[in-house]
Parts: sequence; structure tokens; C-alpha cells
Amino acid sequence: MTLVRVAGRWVEVAEGTTVLAAVRTAGVSLPALCQDDRLSPQGSCRVCLVAAVPGGVVAACTTPAVEGMTVDPFDHRAREAARGALELIVSELPERASDLPADRSELVRACQDLGVTRSAFSGAVHHRGLDHSHPYVKFDGDLCIACGRCVRMCAEVQGTFALELAGRGFETSVMAGAGEPWVSSPCVGCGGCVDTCPTGALSEPGLLDPRPMERSVTTTCGFCGVGCALRVHVRDEAVSVVTPADGPVNRGHACVKGRFSHGFARSPERLTSPLLRRGGRGSPLEPVTWQEALAFTADRLAALRDSYGGGAIGVISSARMTNEENYLAQKFARTVLGCNNVDNCSRLCHAPSAAGLTASFGLAGGTNPLEDVDRADCVLLAGANPTEAHPVVGARIKQRVLGGARLVVIDPRRTELAALADVHVRNRPGSNVAVFNGLARLLIDGGHTDEEFLAARASGFAELSAVLEEHLPQETARIAGVPVEDLEAAARLYGQAENPVIIYGLGVTEHLHGTDGVRTLANLAILKGAVGTPGCCGVLPLRGQNNVQGASDMGALPDLLPGYQQLASPAVRERFSAAWGRPVPEETGLRIPQMFDAAVRGDLKALYVIGEDIASSDPDTTHVVAALKACELVVVHDLFLSSTAEHADVVFPAASFLEKDGTFVNFDRRVQRVRSAVKPPGQARADFEILHLLSERMGESLGCPSPAEAFAECAGLTPLFAGMSHDRLDRDGPLHWPCQDAQDPGRAVLHLDRFATPDGRAALAARPYLPPGESPDGDFPYVLVTGRRLVHYNTGSMTRRTPNSDLLPTETLDISHADATALGIAQGDLLEVASRRATIRLPARITDEVNPGELFTSFHFPDAQANRLTSAYTDTSTGCPEYKVTAVAVRAARE
Amino acid sequence: MTVPREGFVEWAVRFGEGGLGTLDALRARAGGGPVRAEDVRRVAGSLNRPVAAVAGAASFYADFAHGETRERHIRVCEGTSCFAATGGRHVERLDELLAAAPEGAFSLRRVHCLGFCYASPTALDGELPRTGEDLGGLLTPPPGAALPRPETLPDSAPPVPFHVDARRPVTLAGLAGGEPPWTAWPTAVADGARARERVIDEVARAGLRGRGGARFPVAAKWSAAATGTAPRFVVANGDEGDPGSFCDRLLMEQDPHRVLEGLALAALAIGAAHGVVLVRSEYPGAFARMKAAVQEAREAGHLGPDVHGSGVAFDVEIVEGAGSYVAGEETALLHALEGLRGSARSRPPYPVFRGLFGRPTAVNNVETLAAVPWIMRHGGEAYADLGHAEEAGTKLVCLNERFHRPGVYEVEFGTPLTTIVDELGGGLHDGTLRALQVGGPLGGFLAPDALDTPLLTGALAGRGVPLGHGSLVAIDTSISARALLRHVWAFAASESCGACAPCRVGSLRGSELAERFGTDDGPEVPALLERLMDVMETASLCAFGRGVPGSVRSLLRVYREELGLGPR
Repeated sequence: MTLVRVAGRWVEVAEGTTVLAAVRTAGVSLPALCQDDRLSPQGSCRVCLVAAVPGGVVAACTTPAVEGMTVDPFDHRAREAARGALELIVSELPERASDLPADRSELVRACQDLGVTRSAFSGAVHHRGLDHSHPYVKFDGDLCIACGRCVRMCAEVQGTFALELAGRGFETSVMAGAGEPWVSSPCVGCGGCVDTCPTGALSEPGLLDPRPMERSVTTTCGFCGVGCALRVHVRDEAVSVVTPADGPVNRGHACVKGRFSHGFARSPERLTSPLLRRGGRGSPLEPVTWQEALAFTADRLAALRDSYGGGAIGVISSARMTNEENYLAQKFARTVLGCNNVDNCSRLCHAPSAAGLTASFGLAGGTNPLEDVDRADCVLLAGANPTEAHPVVGARIKQRVLGGARLVVIDPRRTELAALADVHVRNRPGSNVAVFNGLARLLIDGGHTDEEFLAARASGFAELSAVLEEHLPQETARIAGVPVEDLEAAARLYGQAENPVIIYGLGVTEHLHGTDGVRTLANLAILKGAVGTPGCCGVLPLRGQNNVQGASDMGALPDLLPGYQQLASPAVRERFSAAWGRPVPEETGLRIPQMFDAAVRGDLKALYVIGEDIASSDPDTTHVVAALKACELVVVHDLFLSSTAEHADVVFPAASFLEKDGTFVNFDRRVQRVRSAVKPPGQARADFEILHLLSERMGESLGCPSPAEAFAECAGLTPLFAGMSHDRLDRDGPLHWPCQDAQDPGRAVLHLDRFATPDGRAALAARPYLPPGESPDGDFPYVLVTGRRLVHYNTGSMTRRTPNSDLLPTETLDISHADATALGIAQGDLLEVASRRATIRLPARITDEVNPGELFTSFHFPDAQANRLTSAYTDTSTGCPEYKVTAVAVRAARE
Repeated sequence: MTVPREGFVEWAVRFGEGGLGTLDALRARAGGGPVRAEDVRRVAGSLNRPVAAVAGAASFYADFAHGETRERHIRVCEGTSCFAATGGRHVERLDELLAAAPEGAFSLRRVHCLGFCYASPTALDGELPRTGEDLGGLLTPPPGAALPRPETLPDSAPPVPFHVDARRPVTLAGLAGGEPPWTAWPTAVADGARARERVIDEVARAGLRGRGGARFPVAAKWSAAATGTAPRFVVANGDEGDPGSFCDRLLMEQDPHRVLEGLALAALAIGAAHGVVLVRSEYPGAFARMKAAVQEAREAGHLGPDVHGSGVAFDVEIVEGAGSYVAGEETALLHALEGLRGSARSRPPYPVFRGLFGRPTAVNNVETLAAVPWIMRHGGEAYADLGHAEEAGTKLVCLNERFHRPGVYEVEFGTPLTTIVDELGGGLHDGTLRALQVGGPLGGFLAPDALDTPLLTGALAGRGVPLGHGSLVAIDTSISARALLRHVWAFAASESCGACAPCRVGSLRGSELAERFGTDDGPEVPALLERLMDVMETASLCAFGRGVPGSVRSLLRVYREELGLGPR
């Protein structure tokens, strides 16, 4: 600590702190227009001048506080110079700069603080004009004071480096890219520049309206699984602006989705009343009262349950819902419908993580918090494209790599991070297990294993070694289609690191052998002793949706009860049965893909689908639609009339995450509060409420009338969350599970003392490489990989109903230059892509992000139904679809 | 976050390619003219730099931001010496010729100093200097006629006159004393483990201080840089931007090996294997000569992976600047080498700890380095014997064309200014001395009756003028006070880097106030100017914004009555 005397008072500040921080610690307010706690200091505006001994008149923001320093923030000369600097800034700006509301302009507040009402100086002002080309980031060049905050935000936090100052002297101003319109620049729309701009030069639609906000609510983002804390600002009972809050995960940062893509909530296409096919299948869905819709649904469900048994009904719960809603959904299935046929969409993404991490380490979550990435010296990123799919994590990885950490990327595609990697192992889709085993072998052969750790804390080394006998590096290289040198370099970088971290995504899980992928990847951390050890950075799965972790944590699974408690255990069942007042059915339920099979077979009569658009997002759409058609009853909750809703008999209008209360669990096991900022439109209601109303109509009570009570009930039954409650989360902020009692601070790093496996050891997996379900052949010579693009999310139901559609209006098929040339295809040409199941058409996007022989697309757009192509192959352990490998043929579309 | 970061530098270090080549890559754009977005994208792509980083740099440097034709590009000097010579008429004449010339026949850019102050005014016709009243014949055609073709003009300008007035030539030991370069270096590298210490010791004994203007003790700088983690860098600052100063050009063109040897010894002192010399683009001759000298030195075994079999590795790269005065400031200079905007940044961190590409770096002025070989050969004490008790050694001073005998003079510290002006310079060749500008745009003006001071930093500071890099520009009575005031502020406004608000806005406000000074429009101007200078002096980030007001204040003192500010 450093002692500094500020305005006559001694204050203690951390070593390496600036004078500005010391002044603020002393409770003295000091305006600083170019300073932002999220950024490194610049010393550009010179408004924070103070007199220091030693030092003289210095800019407080860039001057280190040294032991024994005396600081006078009120020194006359410093104040006069600061006021003069501020007056010079005011003199370059048009009057509208001073007319902004004080809460939107640090400049206005600084003028108030320093008593500047007009500038003594006058002269030329700027005439740079407006750039409103971007739907969200609005630039008024005449208000720019060249403080460089936006530039540093873009570089030091977002890592996109889209902005830099241009010109020099008086003409200095921020510029995007090479000076093109903002929307055409490399800007990714994270909004960081808007948040940090002190003058309003960078703004956004909701802030350009000068009227004050009516209220602001802090909540958790409902897009990907990163779990950013957001501040939702409301005006006219609608979300006007969303800004990033200083949450523990995002630290005041966000992405184009969380930050800007809230317009969907106000879309005229929102469902505002229940819809029912009064005349049965074939008749149109028409608006009806809640009473009628509930009565219809309750009667039909009860009838089906009573005639065929609960096993004839399947409930598909959603990773977009809150924990409380998932808890209620599985309780509804188990107690009201009387079946375990409840599954959630993590089946389609991270079921292999839950299974694989549990098998390897004993718990179904990532082992370490995101903070640990900040001290990793090597990041091994496998099958993930976080700068697009998890942008805030992507940005943090990039910052770490800028800071010197080595980066190894294992991915078939040359993603943004792959292009920046020290080693990019560009393996063939479906060859992960071979690569991970190959790396394991190289770690062992290279002497990079932690023998002590392996002896004391791991099991299965002998079995693994036996399997690895077969995995010669050359053989791995052949299977994966990569140079053996890349594998060697990757193993060396991971092996030589002190604190390596493994981060992975759906490119590891969504395979025929996805669980094997997770386990063989986890092997690397175990071999290295880089998990469950002090200082380790562990293994982090990037969850696709906001509450993938939570939906499974809450037991919306056919074989597990809340907190991953075994349904198969009579004692567990008994405890839940006693608490719920109804016997928990014994028989393991159906997984989502099994539900479709059962429906097509005629064994499943009803599908109750909450918040999922299975007809778009699940593989082999034709099969899914056949299942929906085969069911006697299809019930859907959704915000919009989705493709699935179009096949429903009844549709309940649901609330979005901006309109409800509860909690989400993010990818690093942090339980975070979700708070309602606005009311749902029309008669739309939260899924929580819909489930309650429906069970009441069925003559049953689900208990726990509020989300807080539902959480409390779950915590009471689940040791993992026993120490948490809404009250505590409101008071203490986010908590990691496991959190076993009210004093437990939650465990951010898992397995430090022992692994949660039955024998307390990390289990090395001896899994040989096996080929993917589909392989290219003469008829279908290409491999199609599906994934996500930056500005859209999942089926696009939300993001397509925002100006994100201006940023990316259509889907494309990414194809390599080599393949495009061979096929005679030009940029934008319409292509026909056919798999064994279907044919769709997409315009070509020629890019070397994909290898020759490989293609990429997303499923964000309904007119590009990529999932009509994908196969029914699923992970052999968990049923997770093999989205990442589909054999297809491609050719220029015939007119 | 309190640790200062430089994101674009981190990027360049981690992902960038092409090392120091960004400015060169921008210079190599096709077709001439201002740098276009496609040039920026091409350069960014080839060097794996963010497009914005390259665009920001391209828009910063005068060489890239302004148009030039491939046909014929003329850079005309409007530095202080050339201004003092003609009052700016040579620039106006070229403007007239440009206006009369067919579109695209030639392009014209105003620059601040080409280092021919002894022969002002000057222009560079491509890379050929044109000096003298008619700019070497460029201005001979009558109004309306075309610019003479280059082949019709003499292709040489007078060489830099130099003269030693010290007891022994040090910096000019090669040029005036016949001491060959590269004599200290082979001995020094052969010293093995003791070499580093010995160089620092001798330089410390010599009491050598930085000659660029900041006067930091050289040995202390090198000791500090030597403590950081390798790799380290040594950088020679050949961005001699002070209008009126041309001694670095003399050294780089006429005795480049001495500069390289000094840089090599600096590298030995801090344990650096890489040296870089930034030569301003206004000095094409110096750039070419330095490049050639590096090749010669390699061939002679002075540079390379194993210098003279000593195991010492050292090599040098010569980088050309791109037109910016502030880029001579050390943090800005490093930005320029990194291919970024040449703007100054806050210190700390100091370059000795975090310099080029974030590595420990010793940045030294060319003149400073050129003294080091002599110090190593003759010993630090011999150097300390020269000069004055207050300030050791010699200094190169530059006298402009107004003097009877202009040129570079090596003098000992403590030499009276009157001796330099009257005896060495021989007074003015015609006209009457009205003011002497000492130390360039961040120095100051002395009245003719204030020259009874020795050439010593302290004594000059007592007269309100910093010594700077040692240029002495005589201003005669043909230049009006208001014109000089406008000249000084115009320079400030056009060269301010924009990194801090007081200088970014203030330099333009000063320029605007100077335009109004003494007009009917400006009764409040002197008071406003005073306040502006208080703000700039106290609040600016680097020595540029902090230094301009001092220079203006000295001008106001010297020209007090003429400017209507009342008697002293």
C-alpha cells in the first residue's frame, strides 16, 4: 500500500495507483474527460490537473501515486490551467454539446464541477458532420474532442482495433477503419465506444432522444451463456437503452446482442394473446382468451395423460428460460403430467459437457471462473468461435493474448482468433478425439505431464496409455488432415505453460462422439495437472445460450433431478416425492431426439414445447416436423409465431428475459439475477406464470407461487444451491455453485481438494478415435459445419427483429476460394446445397475462413433452413446432434 | 486500470509483421497522391496490422496526408531561417508558379526546415536541393512562365560549412580533426564482460548530456535502460526537426560512421543487439548516406551477428520519417518507428523501461551519439576538461543564412554568445540584427543587447530561452514583429500532434489570436494570449505545448514596443 496526502488528509491506496485514484479515494471529485476506469490512462484532456509534491502541476490520471506524496487538488494554478483546458475544449464545440442533459455528458458535468459556463476562447469549430450509417453507433464528429477513450475501449477492452484517431493537431478526431462509413468499418457494434464517450459524439438511437429515462433495472443478459450484467433503461414503458453494468463477468462490457439488440421486445410481431386452432388441425390459429386456451390445453393434456399415461407426453424446456421456470417445468412434468419426459435444449449443445465433465471431474460445470483466464499464459481454444458467439469472452481471450499469453486454436475454420493464434490446428470436422488423443500422446512423450498430480489425483493413466499406443502423431496428423508440426507445437505450448486454460465450445460437443471429445480434451488438463490445482486455470465450456448451465442444473433432464441428483436413486426420488407431495416417476424419460422418434412411432402423443423453435433449431427438420404432425397435441410457448408454433394446436404468448424475474446460471457456474424491466406486451405472460395457470386449470398446484419461492424450494432440495436465495443474490451479487449454506461464498474454482468423482480422482478417459457419423463420399463430397454469426443468435427470432438485420440481412454459404473456383462460383452466386435429407439454396460467401472441401452456414434465418440438411446422428452418450459434420453436395443453383 | 497500455503497440508486437516497415510500406503506395483507403487496407493486410492503426498513421504524417504528383514534387521550406531570409516571399512565388502551371505538372508542399538554413531559402525539387534567393533557379521565370525543368538547373547546393572553435574537435573530430570512425568500437567489443561498464563509466566521467534539448545525463539513461529485460533497443534520433538546426544533417551526411559508432557503443552499454536510426524524410541525402554507411559498416565487420569475432551482435536499421515535428519527441519518435501516429504520450513509463515495441530503449540524439566515439578514444575526463565548470564538453551550434559566415560551429560550453554571433558568424551580412532565436521553436528570442551571456543552459534559461538543439537564427529588421508572431504560432498549429487538448486546441487559438494581434479586432488579444499561454505551459502533455508559450513570451519581450505592449 502507498500512503498519499490528499488535501491535507492521508489516504492509503494500492501500489501502482494513480494520483487520480488517490484523490478520489480521499473523496474529492475531480473531473477527467479522457479517463475511464475500464481503460488505461491517457492524459489527453488535462482537466484533472492537481499540484503534487513531488511533481508540480501534473495530470492526476497519468501520474503514479508515490509514497509520501502530497497532492493538492485545489491548487490555484492547477485549477486555473484545468479550467483553461476545459474552456479550450468547449471552444471547439458547437453549442449543442453544452445543451446535452448532464447525465449523458461528462463534459457538461465537468463544466458544472469547474464552474465553466462559457469559454473565454473562441475561434474555429469543427465541421465534420454526422455519420449515422451504423444502426446503433451514431457519430457526431463535431462533438469529438479526440480524447481517445473510444479508441482505447475498442483496443483495450473489445480488442477489435476498429478505431483510431485520425488527422493531427486541431483536426484530430476519431475515425473508424480506413475512414469509411462506420457501418462498413471493422466495428463489431459492442457499444463500448458509446458507453465511454464523454461528450455524446458517440451515441445511439435511444440516447439521441434527450428526454430522461424513467427507470433503470440491472439484470443479466438473455443472449449467450457469458452472463453479462446489463442495465436496462426504460422510457415510455419500453426499453430505450441497454448499457453494460460492471458485472463480475463482463466488467462494463457487452456485445452487439446484449447491448443493442433489444428491439425484438417491441416488435409488432410479438404474440400478445393466446392462439388456438378452434377447428382442430387444418384450421387457423386464432386469438382466444387465456381462459379458453388454458381450458383447451388442460383438458387435452389431462385426457392424453389419463388415456396413455404421462409417458405419452414430452416436455421440451428451454435454456433461454430462467432457472425458476426450468425448475417449474420439470416439476410440472414430473408431478402434474407424471413423467420424466422432460429435457432441455442443452441436449442439442452441451449435454456432452455435462456428461463428459461429470465423468472426468465429477461435476457438470466448468472448473474455473472467467477471471482465471486473465492470468493464463496459454489459452487452448477448441471448437469455439467466441469473438462471434461469446463476444465478451472472445474479447477477454484476445486481451490475454495481446498481453502475451500463447494461443492454440483447434478448429476447422480460420476464425478471428484462429487467425491470431500461435498455432492453428485446422483439423477436419469430426477428428477432435484423434487430435486430443494425439496431443495427449505428445504431452506424455514431451515430458509435459505432472507426474505427482497423476499419481496422487488422477486415475486411468494406464488405460489411456494403452489407447494412446495407437495414436502416433503422424497417424493423428493424417486423420485430422494437419501437419504433424502443428500438433507438436500445440502440445509444446500447452505443455510448457504454467497456467494453461482450456476453453471449448460446440465444436467439441456437437459430434457423434461429442462426449468422448469433452473427455479426451479434459485429459489434457489432467495430464498437465492444470485442473483442480492451486493457480490452475482449468477447463471452461462456453455455453451457447444464456441458461444452458441452469436449465440442466434445475433438473430439466430425463434422468436427473435438480442439482444432477440421480433419478435412479430411490433415496433421491423419495426426498423429492416427499417435498413435492407427489411420487416422482421412476422410469427415465425421453431425450429430445427420442421424443421425436417416439412421436413418429406413435408412442408419444403430445409435445409441450417451451420457448424452443425445434422446427428450426433441431437437426433433420423433416423428421422434427413429422414428429409434430404425428402428435395429437402440440403446445408452444413463444415470443413469436415460430416455425414450431405454426405446427402447434395452441400457442401461449410468452415474456422475454427483459420482462421477467428469476435467475440464470452462466457458463462459469455463476448464479445471477434476472429482473423485469418492462411489462410483457398485451396479454403475454412469463413461462413461470403460464405453467402455474395451466396446472391450476388441471387441478394441481405447483406450489412456490413466485420465482423467489421456486428458487428457495429448489435450494432446499439441492445441496449445490443450498446456500443461495434471491435475497442473498440481491444482497451479495452473483454466486458460484456449489454454495452449500448461507455462509458459503460459493466455489469459483472446483476440485481443489478432491475431484467430485466417486474416488475423488480426476478420471482420464481412454477413448479411441472413431469416425463421425457422416463422412464425405462421391455423392456428397463436402462437409458442412453449422454455427453462429456475430450479430444473430440461434434461430434469429430475436435478432432478426432488430436492426441487426441491417448489419447482416441474409444467410450465406461460406465456401473456400479453391472450391468456388473449381465450381465456377462467384461471390454472391446462389448455390444449391444438398444432403442425404434435403436441398436448400444459399448465396455463396467466398472466404478462406473455411478449408477447401468444407462449408459453413448458420441457422439464424428461416429461409435458409440449414437444419433440413443436418443428420439424425447424435452423440453416442448423450444424444446431442452431430451438427458439426454433415456430408453435402454443392453446386450453382439452376435458375 | 492504472497501468498505461498501448494497444496498437501490443498488437504490433503480438500479431504484426514487417517490424519497422509500416511507414515505408505507406510511402510505397502506387500512383502518388494522398494515401487512399485502399492503400491503407493493402498495407494493413500485408503487415497484419489493424486497418485503423495504419489509417491513423497515414492521416497523421504530412508526407502521406497531402497529395503529391509522381511527375515532380517540390517541398518548399517555410522554416524560421527561410522565413527570416524572405519573409515568406519564396513560398508565395512558388504558389504563383503552381497556380499558373498546368494541372499535375508539379505538386508543392510546405515543410518546416530542410536543413539548408545556411543557404536559405530552400526547396527540395524531388530530392535535389535548390537554395538561395531564386531557389537555385526555380524562381527565375517571370510571372506566368513555367517552372524550369530540373535538367536546366544546377544539380547541387552548397555543402554545410563547418568550423571548430573548441580547443579540440569532438563531435567534428572526423570532419575537422581527421579522426577516423570505428576506432573505439573494436576495442570496446573486445573488452568482453567489462565492456558495458567501461562505456557507461567513460560517458559518466565525461558528463555527457543529451544534446537534443532535454539534457538528460546519457550515462544515467543507459544504466536505466540496461536494467530492463532483453531484447533492448538503441535508437538514434535523426529527426532534427528544429527549424534553424542542421548539425545532425551534417553529421549524418558527412560523417555517418561516427553516428553509427556512437549508436553501437550505446548498444554495448545497454546490451542491445538492435539499433534503429530515424532520419526525417526532409533529409533524403542523410537517409541515403546513413543507409549506405550501415552497409559499409557491415562489410567492414563493425556490424553483424558476431562483431569482430567478439561474440557481440549488433545491427542497425535506418528508417525514414514521414513529416512531423513532434515525431522528434522521444515517445512520438518510437510511435513513428512502430508505424503508428507520431503523437507524444505521457511518461512514465519512460522509454528506457518501455520503449520501442514495449522493450527497454535508449533514445539518443545524433549529435549526442557522435560525441561518444571520441569520449571512448580520449577518455571521459578529456571531454569533461572541455567546456565550462557548469556544463562539460562541446556543442554544435548552427548559424543561419543572415550571418556573414553561416554554418555549423563546434564550440565549448561557456563561449559567449557575442563571440559566436559577432566573431564566428561575423555578424549579419547585411541588415540589422533585431532578434536572435536560440534553440528553435521551443527555444526563445533574445534582443541584440541581451547577447552578453555565455552559451550555457543555465545562463540562457536565466534570459528565458532554452538552448534546445543549439540553433541560432538571426532575424533582421526586415521581419515585422506581427509576422514573426504569426510565423511562430502557425508552426505550432501545424505541428501540434493533437494528443492533448491544451496544445491541440490552444495552438490553433494562438494562431488565430496572432492573426488578430494588433488589429482593430483585438483589444483583448494580448490578455487572452497570456491566459492561453498560461494554460498551454502548465497543462500540455509534452515539451511541445509546454514550450511554445515560452518562445512566444520571449518574442513579446523582444518586440514589446513594436507590438504596442508598452515599454519594458
